[in-house]
Amino acid sequence: MQAIKDATYTIEEFNVISDVFSQAITGELIGMSNFASLAETINDPHEKMEAVEHANSERMHAEGFLAYAKKAGLNININMQGAYWGNVRTQFLSYARKKDFIACLIIQEVILESFAVSMYTDVGDSLGGEAGHLFHSIAEEEKEHLDHSSDLLRAELKKDPVAFINKFEEIHFNCMTILAEFTATNDLRGHCGVCHGDCMKGSLHHIGLDTITLRGNALALYAQAMDNIGIPGEKSIVWIARLPA
Amino acid sequence: MDSSPASLDFAVIGHQDSWHNIAAFVNCIRGAELEPLVVEKVKDIFSFIPPRDLFKVNVRSATGAEINGVYIETFIDPDKLLPQFTRTNIGKIIQAASLAKKMGANIVALGGFTSIMLEGNIDELSTNVTKFTTGNTLTAAYIVKSIEKAANNFGIDLQESSVLIIGATGDIGTACINYLAHKVNKLLLCARNHHRLQNVAANLVKQDIRVEYSTCVQDLAPKADVVICAASSSGIELVNCKQNVLICDAGYPKNLEEKIEDREGVFLFHGGMGQVTHGFNFNPDYSESIYRYAAPHIIHGCILEAMILAFEKKYENYSAGKGNITAHSMEDIYNLSVKHGINIAPFYNAGGLCQKTSVLKTLPQ
Repeated sequence: MQAIKDATYTIEEFNVISDVFSQAITGELIGMSNFASLAETINDPHEKMEAVEHANSERMHAEGFLAYAKKAGLNININMQGAYWGNVRTQFLSYARKKDFIACLIIQEVILESFAVSMYTDVGDSLGGEAGHLFHSIAEEEKEHLDHSSDLLRAELKKDPVAFINKFEEIHFNCMTILAEFTATNDLRGHCGVCHGDCMKGSLHHIGLDTITLRGNALALYAQAMDNIGIPGEKSIVWIARLPA
Repeated sequence: MDSSPASLDFAVIGHQDSWHNIAAFVNCIRGAELEPLVVEKVKDIFSFIPPRDLFKVNVRSATGAEINGVYIETFIDPDKLLPQFTRTNIGKIIQAASLAKKMGANIVALGGFTSIMLEGNIDELSTNVTKFTTGNTLTAAYIVKSIEKAANNFGIDLQESSVLIIGATGDIGTACINYLAHKVNKLLLCARNHHRLQNVAANLVKQDIRVEYSTCVQDLAPKADVVICAASSSGIELVNCKQNVLICDAGYPKNLEEKIEDREGVFLFHGGMGQVTHGFNFNPDYSESIYRYAAPHIIHGCILEAMILAFEKKYENYSAGKGNITAHSMEDIYNLSVKHGINIAPFYNAGGLCQKTSVLKTLPQ
């Protein structure tokens, strides 16, 4: 394995990269847990196995991030019960308990994967080197999840457009509101419980990133994902506009 | 499903030209129960949003016909309507055009800067089902017809007048030249590109038309009886204008009144706009925050051109390319416009509707 370019991190870079990896690992573990819970909601044995495979895929992503973090000596903090990740998980579980496969799919494979793909891509572009490559390759795999879900959800939309759009709207406000608060310029629900010390958002410039662009690109990908599924633009723009900012 | 019109006769691809309007729109769709977002917060999000359909439009003709369409917002940053952002902006316009095609629109208007950025190269966007128009023919027709009407109101004899056209080498500026060339005493032409300006002027001289040109508007403004601004007003300043000068602000954004040094005796109106006599509806109804003008049912000529073509079921790339608009085609589309009860908009500016005899003093000083 090639030497880590990142050994030359400044203290500011080290701190913010540690927080970035902490967030990514926590997010992947949430994804892993969600897919495992999703498997519970599925009756079809093949789809059940696929959900477990996806859970394993998220586990592998977490392992990948953890391996890099260990090699680079990053300071990792994992917290799945924090103000944002914990609430996302709670929302997911509330639908999983009702065996609402479609709702689970929307949360995990549209909302969370849109943010993961977009943010991993931006972070990968910014970090470069081995860390950047790792983020890019995982973003590619997450994108497959996003594309896979779009096909299923398009079919679901066709079956009963009104019911589907109503369901999507409810999930959007239950779940995307949490992510919007999480990614706002200032944490709207307080500290996330993952970052060390102060929120990393104020330090992202040390690695060439900023909160507005990260959040904007993530919302853009989420909007595109809704377009791909067939949610009318006149609906999705209202949903996005009504998010906390 | 309620997400698309029963039939999509037309689509309009548009953009906003002020953050004030954008914030008003965003806060309108957020609803009264949520705290309004300040402009800075709106700026953090707006331009990241991919192009999407915002509302359906139903338009009624004087003939009794009705057409249905959709407005597609490009979400172009109004601070980035500049050449250095062309690549990003063109990407958004192409995305918006793809959406219009996906929605099955028969004719699509490329409103405002969206056609300027493509420089009229719209043929490759078209399909068998969906045709595109810059809408510049009707915009230009409304400009010159409103100049004729205002001149008549103020007792200005165009045949004795020097008419300054700012943006003279652009598609709309060239159309205005073609229409007015033999109807005025002298053309004063202003544009940024000296070489193109020289070519336009040389062609006019060959036709024995009196012409003077400059890349500097200050060289020409003091000589003009009538001014047509068919260019972005950023960077334009009108100083030492004649008393009683007649000005049609047809650029983007329409804020030329802020660029006039001495407003006394100036009659300025926002041009290139039409009014739909039999009205139109938006669904959802965002008319309180978008397309708000001094009088009801006013829309840009470029958008109305697509609507008129839809009424006529004349699905073709009517206004395409650059410099192709003739006086004849302007008369044709204008006559169709009148047939459907769509007329030049009443005179208005930033101060509201103009009285027949009022001058720019109607504007806030």
